[in-house]
Amino acid sequence: MTREEHVSFTRRTLGWTAGLLMGTTGAGGAALASDPAHLRHEAMETVGDSFKPLRAIALKEAPFDVAVVKKNATVILAKLKEAHGLFPEGSGGGKSRAKAEIWSDRAGFDKAMQKAQAAAAALSAVTEEAAYDAAIKTLGGGCKGCHDTYRLPKD
Amino acid sequence: MRLPSRRTTAAATTLLVVAAAAFWWLTRGHPLPASAIPAHVASTANGEVLYHAASCFACHRPPEGSANRSLPSGGDPFKTPIGVFYPQNITPDPETGLGRWSESDFVNAMTRGLAPDGRHYFPAFPYMAYRAMQVTDLLDLRAYLMSLPAVRAVHPPHDVPQLGLARRGVGLWKRVGLARAPFAPARGGGDSWTRGAYLVNAPGHCGECHTPKDWLMIEDLGRHLAGGPHPGGEGKVPSLRGLLAREKYEDTAHLTLALQNGEELGYENLSSGGMGRIQESLAKLPAADVRAISEYLLSLK
Repeated sequence: MTREEHVSFTRRTLGWTAGLLMGTTGAGGAALASDPAHLRHEAMETVGDSFKPLRAIALKEAPFDVAVVKKNATVILAKLKEAHGLFPEGSGGGKSRAKAEIWSDRAGFDKAMQKAQAAAAALSAVTEEAAYDAAIKTLGGGCKGCHDTYRLPKD
Repeated sequence: MRLPSRRTTAAATTLLVVAAAAFWWLTRGHPLPASAIPAHVASTANGEVLYHAASCFACHRPPEGSANRSLPSGGDPFKTPIGVFYPQNITPDPETGLGRWSESDFVNAMTRGLAPDGRHYFPAFPYMAYRAMQVTDLLDLRAYLMSLPAVRAVHPPHDVPQLGLARRGVGLWKRVGLARAPFAPARGGGDSWTRGAYLVNAPGHCGECHTPKDWLMIEDLGRHLAGGPHPGGEGKVPSLRGLLAREKYEDTAHLTLALQNGEELGYENLSSGGMGRIQESLAKLPAADVRAISEYLLSLK
């Protein structure tokens, strides 16, 4: 065995052992809890959930309510910031829909993410119904701007 | 080493010449006769509807940083597994666009994949779907394009290995592809459903991405709109069948709203993989046409 093979073998063995241990001790959740792809997915799910009442207002299915707008836009901003920090190099692939462009064009990705965050901040400050339509579409456009380029379609 | 005899050399040369001639003959284009173009008073209003239904701008957009970003002057790189294409300028500029194209030039491009000089277009330009369009609709679309401001735009040649030979070889592919009938939707639906079926399958060319291709890179109509590998080479394109059963959308009204608003209102399945640009075009259609598309799509089991 060469040194490299040995290291790789050791890593594999450790990996298997860790996997077995997790399986037997039910620590699988702990692995997920530290998996950035899983965590950012959860954060984005919350963004999606918080967007729904905002969409209902835009479609006039619900009345314009400053408190609802502020609450949900604030959650979206926090979760977008959280998700933004969960794209370390090498966390794509597998079940993740993150495209390689996130890392090959990191500056573009960061800019798109910041645009969405700025839009969420602007929406949380909206108090007039007249300004609402443009503000929510800017936020949605921010989500779209990033997803168009940096996310793979869903099966 | 013995040199090949003069006779062998002569035979090999003859064989090569015959093969080249056969290739040339088999790959020649088959333009429509001028008589196939009916006399028609074109409607630019209908042409504009078709322009959006076909999402022309999604591909024929100018690249980032161009002076006018709203006109279809082309050139934005279109990446495919066989190479990078630079879509044609379809504004009426006489030198670099469609300014000098006759009606039959346009119909030949859209239904036979032939340039006015007789060269083949690669099927990255979806003439396989457009050939199912009504000729009058094509003439209206041309009239709309001709009504746009002309933009002069010069693009690099397609970045495809052996471009000249590959382009000629498309003629061979067309002999098989164009011989197969385009997808014919079932009959018997209402007017709106029938309109939706036309918009989705002919101008809309949804199957270009949403229908998997067979080994000849021709749509496998047995798996019509059933999703498959992304033509860009990375990821998958979702199936458009069973959208109701799989609870992707609740009803026609829901899908209509999603297509009209896209991710600007949080319908997040309508961005990603290039769909964002398509949705932007579809959102510009009259509401009745978006509803027709939704009605048809949700009827697919």
